[in-house]
Amino acid sequence: MFCGDLRHKHSAMEENYTTEAFVLVFKTNINHKKDVKLLGQILDAQSDIISWNVDLSDIDNVLRIESTFSDCSRIQELVTRAGYHCEELTD
Amino acid sequence: MRTRDINKESTIREKAIEIIVNHGFDGLSMHKLAKAAEVSVATIYIYYKDREDLIQKLYTAETKKMADATLINFDPDCHFDEGLKIQWLNRIKYCLENPYSMQFTEQLRNSPLVDRSVMDRRFLDAMSKFVHNAIDRGELLPLPVEIYWSVAFAPLYQLVKFHISRSSMPGRPPFILDEKQINLTLGLVLKALKP
Repeated sequence: MFCGDLRHKHSAMEENYTTEAFVLVFKTNINHKKDVKLLGQILDAQSDIISWNVDLSDIDNVLRIESTFSDCSRIQELVTRAGYHCEELTD
Repeated sequence: MRTRDINKESTIREKAIEIIVNHGFDGLSMHKLAKAAEVSVATIYIYYKDREDLIQKLYTAETKKMADATLINFDPDCHFDEGLKIQWLNRIKYCLENPYSMQFTEQLRNSPLVDRSVMDRRFLDAMSKFVHNAIDRGELLPLPVEIYWSVAFAPLYQLVKFHISRSSMPGRPPFILDEKQINLTLGLVLKALKP
């Protein structure tokens, strides 16, 4: 599985912390700022999501999550329940 | 557990710069980049948050490389004529050895896509000290920095572009930037900047 594989340490220089984080990457159909805002309310409420962003400038509208957990299905469920398509991007 | 792969990361960088130089910013999609660098789209997103983050990080890394190369054997306390000559030779050498890097930073110099304030402090401080010393000693005309830069360095970058692209003015043979041409132009630039 791709996301479980991605465990890496953030360098202290870049992020100013050294906790281990997982980077989870999903292809979505979130392509408007208002959708990002809406989804943000849901994602910000998850205390084990360190940071997230949606790349609106690329065709895959990638949702990128840095979290303390590696379970992709949790994110997929949250995003799908909010009404968006969400597919794990595999390596 | 997978750790950051330095080789992969540098291939991604190299290919991204090539795509931007050859096809412009709009020509850079993560799919195209993944294909060129022979990695998955997902892998690119491990290293970069989004396209904007990628371009900003490329800019920071390339200007750092350029700054390092520019400062070799450069003493900000030296005479203006001597210092500018070293600057010219270092910059020309870097540009000729890294043509993609040079075109990339040129493309970004006037672009709103990057925050240029992240530019290497060491480099900016050395340049600033060099210029102020020279002004204080009466070796350089005090000028607004944009005008100073345009007279001191823009001719160099334009000639390098002619040289790299093997082009010239219409109807002329390809321009070759050799030592003679460098000294000729540098002489004119130094004359123009004298108080």
